[in-house]
Amino acid sequence: MNQDATAPPAGEPVAPHGGRPLPLPKSRAGRWLQRRLPIDLDALRYYSNEPVPNHLKHWWWCLGGTPAMLFAVQAVTGILLSFYYVPDPSQAYESVKRVSTIVPFGWFLRSIHRWSSNLMIAAVILHMMRVFFTGAYRKPRELNWMIGIGLLGATLFFGFTGYSLVYEQLSYWGATVAGNLTEAVPIIGPYLARLLRGGEMVGDNTLTRFFILHIGILPALITALLGAHVLLFRLHGVTEFEFESPKLRGSEEKKTFPFFPDHVMTELIVGIGLAFVLTCLAVIFPVGLAEKANPLQTPPHIKPEWYFFWTFRWLKLTGLTFAVLSIGFFGFLALAWPFVDAAIRRRRPASELSVRLGILAVCALVVLTVWEAFATH
Amino acid sequence: MTLDQKRMIVAALSFLFLASLLVVAWVEGGKERIHPKPRPVVGADSAKCLQCHEQKTPVIAAQWTDSRHAQLGVGCYECHRADEKEPDAFQHEGKWIATIVSPADCGACHQDIAREFQHSHHSQAAQFIGSLDNVLGEVIEGRLAAVNGCWQCHGSTVAFAKEKDGTVRKDKTGKPMLDPTTWPNTGIGRVNLDGSRGACSACHSRHAFSRAMARQPEVCGKCHMGPDHPQIEIYEESKHGIAFRTRLAEMNLSSESWVLGVDYTAAPTCATCHMSATRNQPVTHDVGARISWTLRPVISRKLDEWEKKREAMKDVCANCHAPDFIAAFYTSFDATVEMWNSKFAVPAQSVMDALRARHLLTPTPFDEEIEWSFYRLWHHEGRRARMGVSMQGPDYTQWHGFFEVAERFYFDFLPKAREAGRGDPQVTRALKAVLDSPEHAWLKGMSPEDRAKIDAFYRERYGAETVK
Repeated sequence: MNQDATAPPAGEPVAPHGGRPLPLPKSRAGRWLQRRLPIDLDALRYYSNEPVPNHLKHWWWCLGGTPAMLFAVQAVTGILLSFYYVPDPSQAYESVKRVSTIVPFGWFLRSIHRWSSNLMIAAVILHMMRVFFTGAYRKPRELNWMIGIGLLGATLFFGFTGYSLVYEQLSYWGATVAGNLTEAVPIIGPYLARLLRGGEMVGDNTLTRFFILHIGILPALITALLGAHVLLFRLHGVTEFEFESPKLRGSEEKKTFPFFPDHVMTELIVGIGLAFVLTCLAVIFPVGLAEKANPLQTPPHIKPEWYFFWTFRWLKLTGLTFAVLSIGFFGFLALAWPFVDAAIRRRRPASELSVRLGILAVCALVVLTVWEAFATH
Repeated sequence: MTLDQKRMIVAALSFLFLASLLVVAWVEGGKERIHPKPRPVVGADSAKCLQCHEQKTPVIAAQWTDSRHAQLGVGCYECHRADEKEPDAFQHEGKWIATIVSPADCGACHQDIAREFQHSHHSQAAQFIGSLDNVLGEVIEGRLAAVNGCWQCHGSTVAFAKEKDGTVRKDKTGKPMLDPTTWPNTGIGRVNLDGSRGACSACHSRHAFSRAMARQPEVCGKCHMGPDHPQIEIYEESKHGIAFRTRLAEMNLSSESWVLGVDYTAAPTCATCHMSATRNQPVTHDVGARISWTLRPVISRKLDEWEKKREAMKDVCANCHAPDFIAAFYTSFDATVEMWNSKFAVPAQSVMDALRARHLLTPTPFDEEIEWSFYRLWHHEGRRARMGVSMQGPDYTQWHGFFEVAERFYFDFLPKAREAGRGDPQVTRALKAVLDSPEHAWLKGMSPEDRAKIDAFYRERYGAETVK
């Protein structure tokens, strides 16, 4: 049998699509590995060394990687915490107490997990604000914006299910309020609330469902959305802007800089900086444990976590049904904003409505959040 | 920022991060120092015991492992070792040991506590043998009722099982066997083979020797309960008991130091008032050290040095109550006990004395109904009334106390006394003296004026139709 003269020797790795033979590393171990992992190192080097626009040197443009890093912290600490957590109403609170007081370094893991969740939500919000105000959601990146909105929703739901698992008073009554809000959604609300709670009220089934959501469904969802988000980001490339500032624009000769190692080093600074900040927060402000959930005693003053303050205040101001419908509308508007914005800009190309609306929305959220933070009832 | 500058920042941040992890380790170490976990210290002899007993009696071994004794290296052998000359000593795996750890053994380390206890009323609890109670239990009810009932609280006199020829029975290893009617027994006044009295494990259950358990009211409630001395029931219905149940989590029961007003403030337990430390007095294992009355006998009397004892109790009360409150309580308590004495105890005793003086009762106790009636009057109902008022249990003072005392006295004891007296002049005089006293004048009938007052009150309060 004749062999193709251009074909690589049998057993040697080739580039995808029957391309050229992959260059073999010089070391024996390298060659061993290359034969078993036939990755085109040149192609990998090409993709990883892709030049990125100069403005990525600015810290404001590094927020995208931050939630992903914090998500990794959450995954590691969450797995360790789940070794001790018991998702049963009769044991949940005690198991968290055990983690905080008896398990070696348990207090540290729990504090890191809680602080990291808060920072992750803050980082997602800041990242989305950057994307929104720089118009980076516009064509052809509309889908990635929508995935981002999905990630924001999943992250908030992650936070909610997380603090519900502790089974403090806030956990129980927060879940009760969330159940009531869900019930107020027209038509599907009652069914959705029952699905979420596993019954008419928050009970044994609710904790199990929240636990499964928190450690199984939401991590898988976020991983999938994050994968799609990064993939689309890589396919489209980094959004290029026209900056007036030479610092952001760079010089004519150096409009870009290498992703590796320059930008990776920047992300590394952010990552290690975050690890340091998280450790400091955990040591200086370790997470405590409030009163155990008591279904028979409604606390006189109950507040959710800070990222739901605005919804809570809005609910108090407008009433249950209007609040649920309006929050649903805001969510839909945020999701569809790239298309709404495009329609507006088609009619008025120079419109700055999105920026104005964005400022208005941020101001409203800040006012409602601060108002709820300082309100006594 | 150049790449080198970034590298420098990464290095600096990495250093800071690692340093912060050292702080985390330091905080974790501090946590361990604040909450030391029991780390058993096991001597060579006790280690040998544990090798087998962790398999044979794992629960005992585990309880000991969690105990304070374990942390201090007080192991199996340290407590159970015995001198060859001790009567109950036997050889076990090459060592001389004894089964029973007596207060004399505990006192080797806890000298002051052992001394206090030997002076306490608790240590005398088995001395009731020979009293009327013992005849009732051992003869009338049956000896095993006493063995498994009375003795389990009061304490047995520990003895060896005997062979027919009177020698001590031994098992195949040569271990002397204890008389099963006298042991197992953790009665508070147990008379031990070494002559010491008591069983520390009555309150400090072996082998955890938990402080918290000894401070729980339930420990006292094992014996201080029931129809004749329902202290635990009275405590539970009192404000003190309610506060304890409500705030149990705040009682700090496991704390080494347990000073009222310093280490806990939530509620008092039995131990708080009768034994535990206040800011002015140390803990005592003489449970009578703060008791001013004896409410046990037919006629209550104040104990020796009662003023000193009362001051000690008032010092406990003063952590929560003002002096006026305490003084008013004691005025009312004293008056109520004196009312029991003068209205029921002294008259009933005088009638019984007259019946006995006139030989109208047989010398055999409890063979006549009036003796049962008299016994119930003072030993059950009368004690309930007195103990109820002493511990602020209103229902035990009245419905379970004086109400039943009155019913027993007027409609059971006095009729039986008349019947037993059979018209004897001395008994008749005694009965007349009782009924002529002002406390019992109501029995002769109400004056028309008094009756009219009551009718008028009922008419006003409940309507005219309620008064026929």
